Amino acid sequence: MGVDMSVHIGPAILKNPVIAASGCYNRGAEYARVTEIGEYGAITIKSITSKPRLGNSMPRVIPVPGGLLNAIGLQGPGIDHFLAHDAREIAAVPTAIIASVAGFSVAEFAAVAVRMNGLPNVIAIELDVSCPNVDREGECFAESAAAIGEVVRAVKATAKLPVIAKLTPNVSDLRSIAVAAEAAGADAISLINAVRGMVIDTTRARPWLANGTGGLTGPAIRPIAVLAVWEVARAVRIPIIGMGGIETARDALEFMFAGATAVSVGTANFRDPDVARKINAGLRGEAARRGFASVSALTGLANPEFAGVRVSR
Amino acid sequence: MPEVQLAVETAVVSSREPLGPGFWRIALRCPRIARAAGPAQYVATDLPGPFAVRLPLGIWTVDGDEFTLLFREWGERTAQLSRVMPGTEISVIGPLGNSFSIPAPGSHATIVAGGVGVVPFWLLGRALIKAGVQTRVLLGARTKAMLIGAAELRDLGLTLDTCTDDGTAGQKGTVLDLLRDQGPVDMLYGCGPPAMLRALCEHANAAKIPCQISMEETFGCSMGTCWGCVVPVRRGCTQATGYPRAPDERRPYDLSRICTDGTVYSASDVEWL
Repeated sequence: MGVDMSVHIGPAILKNPVIAASGCYNRGAEYARVTEIGEYGAITIKSITSKPRLGNSMPRVIPVPGGLLNAIGLQGPGIDHFLAHDAREIAAVPTAIIASVAGFSVAEFAAVAVRMNGLPNVIAIELDVSCPNVDREGECFAESAAAIGEVVRAVKATAKLPVIAKLTPNVSDLRSIAVAAEAAGADAISLINAVRGMVIDTTRARPWLANGTGGLTGPAIRPIAVLAVWEVARAVRIPIIGMGGIETARDALEFMFAGATAVSVGTANFRDPDVARKINAGLRGEAARRGFASVSALTGLANPEFAGVRVSR
Repeated sequence: MPEVQLAVETAVVSSREPLGPGFWRIALRCPRIARAAGPAQYVATDLPGPFAVRLPLGIWTVDGDEFTLLFREWGERTAQLSRVMPGTEISVIGPLGNSFSIPAPGSHATIVAGGVGVVPFWLLGRALIKAGVQTRVLLGARTKAMLIGAAELRDLGLTLDTCTDDGTAGQKGTVLDLLRDQGPVDMLYGCGPPAMLRALCEHANAAKIPCQISMEETFGCSMGTCWGCVVPVRRGCTQATGYPRAPDERRPYDLSRICTDGTVYSASDVEWL
């Protein structure tokens, strides 16, 4: 019996539950040189802002045991250039596209998101309300229930695409933030964004990254991310896209068992460009071993208080 | 140069030898990469252990189905690589990055290498000899023990001048001192520490000599997706991202990904900030 690998992220349907995470896959072309990028159920493109941005100064990355600390600073072309020059490239990607949108004000998020309406191949918008590496003068939308509610409501008012709110674990009460996003109309939650961190160059006696702080990704943050999914899955009914250090199908299963409907893979691509195919094969095998007709039946299995929609086995 | 298809390959370590204090050479059997490798290209190696990203290393020499990596041990990952045993399989992606371009036959070129920055110049030296370019190498290091690669370059048939900061080998001084002492050439090539590269570019730009440098940064993905290893380049440079300028953007330069758009840049394109 075949396993149905498709998953529902709100009204959007993905052919499989494995997604390339924003910021790690650009728009797919680089990895298309060495692998079949269509193995991904969707590719989340690098965040688009309203204006072009050069990002942070160098150095921007430093590998650490178990991960990569980065502070890129949302380098990107801005929405005008993106629509004029990159939309055709997006349409040709052999899988669905999730458009990540970043901004520094409610109005900016809404203004960029609405322009993704009708773009070929784009099936959802992810709101990067939680990037750890840009100066917002103390304000991070995903650190406040009121702020995230405002952003999601503003985007939902004009966006025709399903809206995914990407949350940070760097908060004291993640559940209330997720509940606020759901209440404001978010179609799904993705979590976690990179965890704030720092590496100090002990020779020069100063932080390694030019930005000082950075965001940690990779397997080091996986238990933080699994717990975040577990907690949020008990608080919201909308689907969760789980991410943070997933390298194998076993890692992906942790997130699905905790309550994720789909998973995103970021840093692991850097080590193994073939990671999406392997994770899909492993998830398919796990569902089959358990006699499930759908991969979605794996969601929430380990979480007795899973509040989402259970898919029949 | 024909477009070479990248691939994830399994390479087998065939030898490993120390070349001096903290310097190592590892030979890897990997026919496709050994045959495709161009000067200044590199491989992204996946080492076993806790690191989440690949370690990029420049290709030193090639011989039939094998290529070698010459590297300096300076962190946990290079230390780990220095302990790898012959027979070990290592996943490598390559050859990555662009290559130096070669001037017309009969022209004169000078290669300026600092320390482990010698790595791209075995393949370049071989290509220049094959192209009939008169080539001189200026190789410098802090001290005699760190002056590596000279024997292999001489074996190719290249003429070498060496120098050390402390005068323990060759002339006492820097490669820039050696460069100023020699006559005009048609092309300069450089690889080494940032201060050396900057001085070389300023020299070349002032003297209006074409100059290509291979740059280094800490890479994240090595594939061009993470934007972790950018260098400021002249606006409009073909290796730049070519984004429009933001209204409040005062920085008069573009950015280029060293891992993918480089590592080789024209000295006239690099903006030293």
